[in-house]
Amino acid sequence: MSLLHPPRVVAPASVAAGEVFQVKTLIGHSMETGLRYSPDGTVIPRNIINRFVCRYDGKVAFSVDLHEAVAANPFFEFYLRATKSGVLEFEWSEDGGAVYTLARDLVVT
Amino acid sequence: MSVSRRNVLIAGSAAGAFFAGGVRDPALALSDGADIVEGIIGATAIESDRVLLDLPAAFPNGATVPVLVAVDTPMTTADHVRRVRLFAPRNPIVEIMTFGFEPELSLPRVSARIRLSEPQYVIAVAEMNDGAALLAKRFVEVATNGCPSQ
Repeated sequence: MSLLHPPRVVAPASVAAGEVFQVKTLIGHSMETGLRYSPDGTVIPRNIINRFVCRYDGKVAFSVDLHEAVAANPFFEFYLRATKSGVLEFEWSEDGGAVYTLARDLVVT
Repeated sequence: MSVSRRNVLIAGSAAGAFFAGGVRDPALALSDGADIVEGIIGATAIESDRVLLDLPAAFPNGATVPVLVAVDTPMTTADHVRRVRLFAPRNPIVEIMTFGFEPELSLPRVSARIRLSEPQYVIAVAEMNDGAALLAKRFVEVATNGCPSQ
């Protein structure tokens, strides 16, 4: 298994309109590069999280294309601007098609 | 010249000073790899103060090196950064990752962790909405290989 721990998100539950707020995301994943060999000499196939998307009220607000040189357990800290109340949706796509998601409600006052 | 104790000592200290000077700044001995990066992005990147790339100058573990990248832009529809791409020219796979930003919604400031296989320059290229490619680089000395084959 490449997924070591389900994703986690730290984001505020409510923010004042126009404010900038911080979001931190983490997913436990080995990020197998495809460059490593097992002890019997066979290549361990690549299996990484290749894309991360954060949607705010249905619109893509922040995204990342990941390659092999992202460290295991990909962590991102980024900043969004509060416009209106809505859902923050987070989505991690893995090689082979698996998708891991998480959602948080955001109240803008 | 006779091999006296004094001559041996003088020669030894001179060699020591030479090697110490060489070891002190490994960044000078390496190319920054900007030509490799420009080959990948297919454009000429201009070094700019508007791109902030922060990494430790020396870090013990190449498998998880913290990186902060930020771009000085108001993020309005008229003036914003579309993408920021990170490169490690001396890694086995040069591209590290690409951050995508949206005007009005996100701020161009991100922290993450990367793998580095050997001491090298890390390069960030910010692609602005007017088509400009702005570059920043930082030399990082890692003590272990973050991309092992075992």
